[in-house]
Amino acid sequence: MGAGPAIGHRHLGLFLVAPALATVLILFVYPLCYSLVTAFVAKEGGFTFGNFLRAFEFYSVDIAFTLVIIGISTVLIGLCSVAIGGYLTLGENPRAVAILKWLYRWPLFIPFIVAAQCMRTFLAKNGLMNNTFVSLGLVDPINTISLLDWRGIIITFVWKQLPFVALLVAGAMASLDRSTIESARNLGAGRLRILVEIVVPQVQQTLMVGLILSFVTMMSVLSVPIMVSGGSPTMITVDMAFRINSYGDYGTANALGFISYALTGFAAWIYLKRGVSQGGKP
Amino acid sequence: MKRKLWLLAATAVAALTLGAVPAAAQKVTLNVVTAGDQNMVDYVKDYLAPMFEKDNPNVTVKAVGTGPGDAGSQKIAEKLTAQKSNNAWDVDVAVVHQKMAGDMVKEGLLASYVREVSTGALSTAASAKNALGANVDGFVIPMFQSQTAIAYNPALVKDPPKTFAELEAWAKANPKKFGHNGIKGGMSGISFVVGWIYANGGGDADRLMKGPYDPALQNTWDAAFARLKEFNKNVTITPGNAGTLDMLNRGEIVMGPVWVDMFYTWMADGKLPPTMKLNLIGPGMPGQPMYYVIPAKAANMAAAKKFVELATSPKVQADGIVKKFNWYPGIDAQHVKAQLDDATWNKLFVDVTPQDLAAKGKTFPIKQYFDDILQGYEKKVAN
Amino acid sequence: MRAWLPWLPRAIVLGLFAFIIFGPLMNLVLWAFAEQWYFPHKLPLAYGLKFWNQVFKPRSDAIGSLVTSIWIALFTVGACLALAIPAGYALARLSLPWRAAIMLAFLLPQAFPSLAVYINVARIFYMFGLNGTITGVVLVHTVHGLVFAVWITTAAFAAVDRDLELAARNIGASGLVTFFTVTLPLAAPGIMASAIFVFLESLDEFTGTFFVGVPDVTTLPLLMFTASLAGNYQIAAITALILLVPSVGFMLFVERFLKADVMAKVGA
Repeated sequence: MGAGPAIGHRHLGLFLVAPALATVLILFVYPLCYSLVTAFVAKEGGFTFGNFLRAFEFYSVDIAFTLVIIGISTVLIGLCSVAIGGYLTLGENPRAVAILKWLYRWPLFIPFIVAAQCMRTFLAKNGLMNNTFVSLGLVDPINTISLLDWRGIIITFVWKQLPFVALLVAGAMASLDRSTIESARNLGAGRLRILVEIVVPQVQQTLMVGLILSFVTMMSVLSVPIMVSGGSPTMITVDMAFRINSYGDYGTANALGFISYALTGFAAWIYLKRGVSQGGKP
Repeated sequence: MKRKLWLLAATAVAALTLGAVPAAAQKVTLNVVTAGDQNMVDYVKDYLAPMFEKDNPNVTVKAVGTGPGDAGSQKIAEKLTAQKSNNAWDVDVAVVHQKMAGDMVKEGLLASYVREVSTGALSTAASAKNALGANVDGFVIPMFQSQTAIAYNPALVKDPPKTFAELEAWAKANPKKFGHNGIKGGMSGISFVVGWIYANGGGDADRLMKGPYDPALQNTWDAAFARLKEFNKNVTITPGNAGTLDMLNRGEIVMGPVWVDMFYTWMADGKLPPTMKLNLIGPGMPGQPMYYVIPAKAANMAAAKKFVELATSPKVQADGIVKKFNWYPGIDAQHVKAQLDDATWNKLFVDVTPQDLAAKGKTFPIKQYFDDILQGYEKKVAN
Repeated sequence: MRAWLPWLPRAIVLGLFAFIIFGPLMNLVLWAFAEQWYFPHKLPLAYGLKFWNQVFKPRSDAIGSLVTSIWIALFTVGACLALAIPAGYALARLSLPWRAAIMLAFLLPQAFPSLAVYINVARIFYMFGLNGTITGVVLVHTVHGLVFAVWITTAAFAAVDRDLELAARNIGASGLVTFFTVTLPLAAPGIMASAIFVFLESLDEFTGTFFVGVPDVTTLPLLMFTASLAGNYQIAAITALILLVPSVGFMLFVERFLKADVMAKVGA
């Protein structure tokens, strides 16, 4: 549409984008800044580190716990998505590939809260999973254990987020140039080696984007830790909700929020640093 | 396709700018906001509301729940504070916890209505005048009293512990078989923690309940918290008041602190094996009333008073509170007992006898100590 | 005999994977139809529709919150499209300064843990009386859904063949007429996909509604949460199933809506 003068288009473009942009600025960026500032403001007003002190005094274990849970989940999601994508790309049996392709996407759009409800009754000590194992004779009824703790949270996170990352990774793998893969195969390289040495480095960026988006998403899930584990230690989202709902204590809650941004930033920084140290573009 | 999309977009925008959802305003809508577990919301919605609507055909009762524990009452206080400068508030009757009631009176959020309703004189208990150290005389009528106790499965626990000390030893011998919900998922876990401090705090439990407040006292609880932290390693932390009952039902734990009323209600619903029993352990565990309050600027003050009058009438207290929902009555016992046969009344006291209640039914500590205990738990036990 | 032998490891792995994927979902279905199920029984003792009747009885909470949820989702879709269609067109077709930065700005709500932001949104909404209103919830959902709406709409417009627009202009159609008769209809499938995406996001949203809507606005996920925490697993399972149907449906048909040519341009 090169008809009109470019300068008019420029204004028109900004004019058309402005409402959407303003919505994000007012309803997201402003509260975000508000939360960053409030984290440093004392209840009586004035600058303070008190909120952070209290956050650490009360919840240092939960902060570490959150990082560990989300870290393990992210790593597991990464490994499994590479495995699924790899099999879809390199698998030799078309029927098995088709079955896997049909299977893995089911939880893709299932909300966290529904996933949590599924897992809550599935992973319990006398839940369907243990009952199935007992019926198959794999476990003694006395030895069944409840997974409704940190393990349950990780299982729920991986179950729910894996399809998303796997979809991205499989898509990226599918659009790779097959010729290097074929030539490596002709040289006698095993499939695992091809996956690790040829395929994964090329889809690394997609994988990282998927993992970081998952990391951020998991960082703000409230329903899963409440419904699946309930106990302490728990994730800082539960603590934030508790500070707000029970005490109206925005200072400490925002300090915890600040910490959750910082943890996310830390994850992104590791990713950027790795990209730079490998000499590639992040 | 495109026309449909635009139509959709246009309607949506129009609706948004018009201030969204239309509300039916022809009749009076009485907003009853309840803090607490779902059974309390159900009580208002399924029991009280239809009865009140039958007597007052122009009124529709809208029952809303704000969730269990402090969070539920906090939400109500926030709602009222946010509308403080308005002339008519959108909460007509609220049901709140003891801990918040004192603050709400102090903030001027509540109406002094008790002397203006016919049932105001029926409740003379100390908790009707004093809420954890705060004077609430004239502002509240107890909806009910309830008590926490330890529920257990007698098939699996032959000789249930009778004191906190015995329980401590029992949990060590039976790891993960005892479960409580900590302090984030409702009051039954909080009651357990408070009972622990009463038992092991080293000080005089009466002082915590009666005052005066001394901020230094919390320093004497360190040993108790350390023991509780050790104890927690051997127990299951459940996801809430209902979570404890649910885990008892599914055999995942065999013992845990529960509200007596919820315990009987779940049993009546077939959600707990009928063989389960209750045990109020020594030196005692706290119970609490819930309060009916009316906000200072309730939009429908007259209807609100009528509603509370109905809810605190001896008949409703007998039939609803005691018979159907297994609570101890909020108004004085003699008014209620007259409305009930002995069997129904005694059903309340099968496992937890009146003697138990007199000796081991405590109140929660005054608010300052209460806050210190909860903060101490977060600092020294949960973290 | 030989023929199926190589299938054995595959079958075991795929079977296990299927168990992991479908086990939790099966479990949900069982709970939805279980009338009686307690320890130590491995399967429900009685099946039936008792709880379905309870959920679908007139004036029930579930119906009320389902209706609320759908209204909120529709308003959210309307608001998102009203904002995203002009923005997407501008981002795809017009020359814009800082285009990359603007695209990234829409990603912001996905790049920060949103719970910490929602609690402050709730606090700000209190000042404007928006807390506990449908409008407030719609606004929160709109921001959350905007990234999908803008990005997919932009990709949809970018995938429209410019030659067709030029042809319309050449036979004398004005810019606006061209947009409404050529560009918009051609981009409609992509816009539809973004609308479905936003609808689902809104329908399933929990955290924002939890802080902004409670206690006055009860959506289906909130009802499910309350039911689950109160130990009413059947009610929770039934509401979860209601939420599940559109989610799984969209998963199965997503490729029909999001064509590869649009997919390839998302985020570009």
